[in-house]
Amino acid sequence: MNLRPILLLAFAASLTGGATLAATNYASERAAIVARYAAEAKQANPNFHGFSADAGKAFFLAHPGTGRPETPSCTTCHTTSPRNYGRTRAGKQLLPVAVSRTPARFTNLTKVERWFKRNCNTVYGRTCTAQEKGNYITFMESQ
Amino acid sequence: MQQPAMILRESLAVLRAQARNGTPVWDLGVRLFHWLLVASVTIAALTGFFAQRSALQLHLIAGGIIAALIGFRIVWGLLGGGYARFASFAFSPPSVLAYGRQMIAGRTARYLGHNPLGGLMVFALLAVLTLIVLTGTVTLGGLVKQGPLAFATSFAGGAQAIGLHKLLSLLLVAMIAAHLWGVWFESRREGENLVVAMVTGAKSHIEADPPRWKAHRRLATLICIALGAAGTFGITALANLPGLGVPPATQDPVYAEQCGACHLAYPPSLMPAAAWSGILDHLGHHFGEDASLDAPTIAHLRAYLAANSAEHWDTLPAVRLRSSIDPADPMRITATRFWRNMHRRIPAATFASPKVSSRASCEACHRDAATGRFAPQKIEIPEASE
Ligand code: HEC
Ligand code: HEC
Ligand code: HEC
Repeated sequence: MNLRPILLLAFAASLTGGATLAATNYASERAAIVARYAAEAKQANPNFHGFSADAGKAFFLAHPGTGRPETPSCTTCHTTSPRNYGRTRAGKQLLPVAVSRTPARFTNLTKVERWFKRNCNTVYGRTCTAQEKGNYITFMESQ
Repeated sequence: MQQPAMILRESLAVLRAQARNGTPVWDLGVRLFHWLLVASVTIAALTGFFAQRSALQLHLIAGGIIAALIGFRIVWGLLGGGYARFASFAFSPPSVLAYGRQMIAGRTARYLGHNPLGGLMVFALLAVLTLIVLTGTVTLGGLVKQGPLAFATSFAGGAQAIGLHKLLSLLLVAMIAAHLWGVWFESRREGENLVVAMVTGAKSHIEADPPRWKAHRRLATLICIALGAAGTFGITALANLPGLGVPPATQDPVYAEQCGACHLAYPPSLMPAAAWSGILDHLGHHFGEDASLDAPTIAHLRAYLAANSAEHWDTLPAVRLRSSIDPADPMRITATRFWRNMHRRIPAATFASPKVSSRASCEACHRDAATGRFAPQKIEIPEASE
């Protein structure tokens, strides 16, 4: 009996299985982070209606003029399209921030919080609200 | 278009006739040695005196060939025949002096091989070349931490050797000038073009006294092969030893992730511990950006950077950078005197070009930046596209 097709099939199945599992893991981890921001946003504002991808987009593209002159906008490093590779001021390439392009985006709370703290400070000159963070991730999930 | 080819053919015919009709003096070994040495010394001198650091590899190849040629010449000087033999032009000091006196008086005898002064010049050239190769190897070991002596040579040792290397090279240039003058002078006096004689191997217009020494070709070949194999093996083995003051690179994953997010995770060997400490104290205001971290992570990074900082290394970047920190801008590698001096010829537009972006993106031009070595052979400025 020829075992090769069966082995190949099993291999392919385990591969797709693994990939789906990883993707659902990412999706559920991201959902947990968004849920956390939703709870925070509700606490801050009883009229909280959920997150908006459009508001996230506006936040991403804005040039608020309240941060440091070297970093006028999120797009300074992440470029105007979330699906593009980004580039830091020191020349290092960044993976796209769109979830469709980089599935592991926004899946580690410590990392997400660290970068919101830093980048909101440099671009907006303040911390971001839970509403803004949730909008941002929702926009990136739609990209 | 016909003419250059014709001139070449005619000159070759003249040379061939001269080789056939003259008295054989310089055997093939001596002539090959001479002209290969001329070529390799020329390349070594040009790359050494004038070229940028990225030309080091060519300089090293030329130096290696010179070393091999010296080895061959010594073997051939002891085992070769006729005028190749050292003994045929090793004159006693009194006879060299006597020759000098006769030359000044304008009545010297003709020699078929080297005259006493010419013979002395051959030995002096070989000795100076040997010293140049040796000091070059010490320099390479100490400053670049490459080659057979890297395992035993400190940066300070290399810095001393390079002074001697330069001095001896200038002496060599003076000796080559004297040698060329001697060739011109003797050619005029003897009415024989000695440059052509070194090409054809033959001299005319002269009575030949038969060479006393017979060549031991087979033995010489065997010894050269054995020496070459042993030398290559030994040098490779020594060059593979870790360099003195070059500890094995340690990659801390926390450092790589946190300090490699926006730029190259700069090798800790590029800055003294105090500079790293200063950077960690001001992460909230990090060169126009907020790079803040939590206290436990900062403590971890402080320990890692202090244990691997420039003070623990004896490489050229570590030694030079740690001693030239700019007090007005102590957290920048690119503000140090050494860095600015090294990169002064690179136009600002090159740093701003899309493939580089910043002075701080060392890895754009130094292919080994992540290792902290910054070897001259690994430098390559990216071509501006468009
Ligand atoms: C100075 C360059 C720069 C600017 C400006 C910038 N970012 Fe970033 N951002 C980075 C870098 C570098 C990272 C970390 C590397 C990576 O994840 O690709 C990052 C990562 C992030 C992350 C974490 C992504 C993840 O996968 O968890 C978030 C969230 C983020 N940025 C949001 C923003 C927002 C919002 C703005 C505008 C307010 C902004 N960034 C502006 C450079 C920048
Ligand atoms: C948020 C992004 C970011 C992070 C994270 C970051 N840096 Fe930087 N760093 C920069 C920028 C931007 C510059 C300035 C680059 C320029 O001038 O082009 C810089 C410059 C430097 C320089 C000076 C380079 C020069 O010009 O000589 C050093 C050293 C340095 N960083 C060390 C660190 C260390 C150590 C860490 C980790 C604790 C770190 N950086 C984390 C953004 C960052
Ligand atoms: C635009 C390209 C470029 C960038 C970016 C760059 N270098 Fe260089 N670097 C060079 C060139 C070219 C030389 C050789 C100069 C010469 O031959 O005189 C050099 C020489 C050096 C040397 C001496 C190497 C040796 O031993 O001969 C060191 C050390 C060095 N660079 C460190 C750095 C560091 C650290 C950075 C980042 C902070 C950096 N360079 C960024 C192009 C660059």
